[in-house]
Amino acid sequence: MELSEAAALGRWVEPARSAMRDSSERLIRGMVEDLEPVTPLPRLRSAFAMILSLWAVLLGVVLWSQDGPSAMGALAADRVYLAAFAGLVVASVGGTISALAAGTPGRERIEVWGMLLALFGLVVAAAACLVAMNAPDADALAAPMGADGMCFRGGALLALLPGGVILSLLVRGWALHPVRASLLALAASGSLGSVIVHMSCGIVAPAHVLVGHLGVPVVLAALGGYPLVVILQRLRG
Amino acid sequence: MSTDESMTARPLDEVETHLSDWMQAAQHGDADAYRRLLTTIRPRIRAIVRSRIHEEAPAEDVVQNALLSIHRGRATYRAERPFGPWMRAIVRNSIVDHFRERKRRGDREVELPVEEWADPSGPAASTEEPLAPELAKALAALSDGQREAVTLIQIEGLSVAEAALRAGVSAGALKVRAHRGYHALRTALAGAREGGEWSSAKPPPSEGGSSRRGVR
Repeated sequence: MELSEAAALGRWVEPARSAMRDSSERLIRGMVEDLEPVTPLPRLRSAFAMILSLWAVLLGVVLWSQDGPSAMGALAADRVYLAAFAGLVVASVGGTISALAAGTPGRERIEVWGMLLALFGLVVAAAACLVAMNAPDADALAAPMGADGMCFRGGALLALLPGGVILSLLVRGWALHPVRASLLALAASGSLGSVIVHMSCGIVAPAHVLVGHLGVPVVLAALGGYPLVVILQRLRG
Repeated sequence: MSTDESMTARPLDEVETHLSDWMQAAQHGDADAYRRLLTTIRPRIRAIVRSRIHEEAPAEDVVQNALLSIHRGRATYRAERPFGPWMRAIVRNSIVDHFRERKRRGDREVELPVEEWADPSGPAASTEEPLAPELAKALAALSDGQREAVTLIQIEGLSVAEAALRAGVSAGALKVRAHRGYHALRTALAGAREGGEWSSAKPPPSEGGSSRRGVR
């Protein structure tokens, strides 16, 4: 670089540096002036326990209204039922932990592991249903008309309450990846609702389990993901 | 050496306890603790950012955005967790956002030669300087949010983070508003120029006035 060029650059570099320093100092002053007390988010395990308790109450109410899980003993022998049940439970736990971690910076590892766990649960459950649907005796098991829609609606409705709690925590938090956080929150709440439906539904037809039970988290995440991202970003400013 | 300065000179692990204490105090509204926290972490944030972004001005923007995110997301810090990883996650995210935005902008903008935008000896933009009537009219026609963003950045000369803090929105949202505002202003001013309404006293401003980049 020529000496004259360096001198010319220096003529505007120093004022620019000084302006940046001033700007940072002004920002810090503004932040201090803007400071208001805040309530820290609950601990991850406390939030998870709260959602789990809420879910347990919902499960109790649904089973009580149906005179208990009378069919569960017989259904437990069915491999598709068990695989879907295990998959949904894993997806619920993984998805909920992951969605809660998504709202807190520095918990990315938990978020990613929870997300992988949730995906694993859903994939295992769906694979079990698909394998059973292609089995030679699959036609023997068919769900009554309208049962898919009824279970789907039930699952979506039961997802509202735990979903509301997860979303409120997410909104209060600071999700570094709003898209991922939104999808996780919806999939987790859908899975929580579906587990209750799965435990109270006596139909073991693989196609019904796939559409009416496992479809809830997938469809909720697919349909609600974008609006939720927009809402999260609006609420954050 | 003041307490804050001696803190900034120590490794992060050593001051971790102080940072955590100050953040907890700040969560309860202690402004003094908050000022100490921000003053202590600013050089550390800058060091992280400068290790990834070598240009001074963009790095400073990222530092300010990270500080603003820390301010907005302070409720997510929990006392039982170390402060460092929490802060670094926010800073990393601000750096990623910067590169993502730069990639997006790179597709539609060209760098202007330095001499076209940086001349400290030239007249600086000032809030006292009256706006051309066409510009004032175009500015008045913007939505409230866009007008506020354009005014804070281009007329009051605040950084994006400062303007975002003043407007009560995130830095990203403020940039979107400002860019929409520039686009609307450009359209309105181009219309005024074609219609012969343009005042001969002042030339039409380029995109963003003092912006360092031109839009194709």
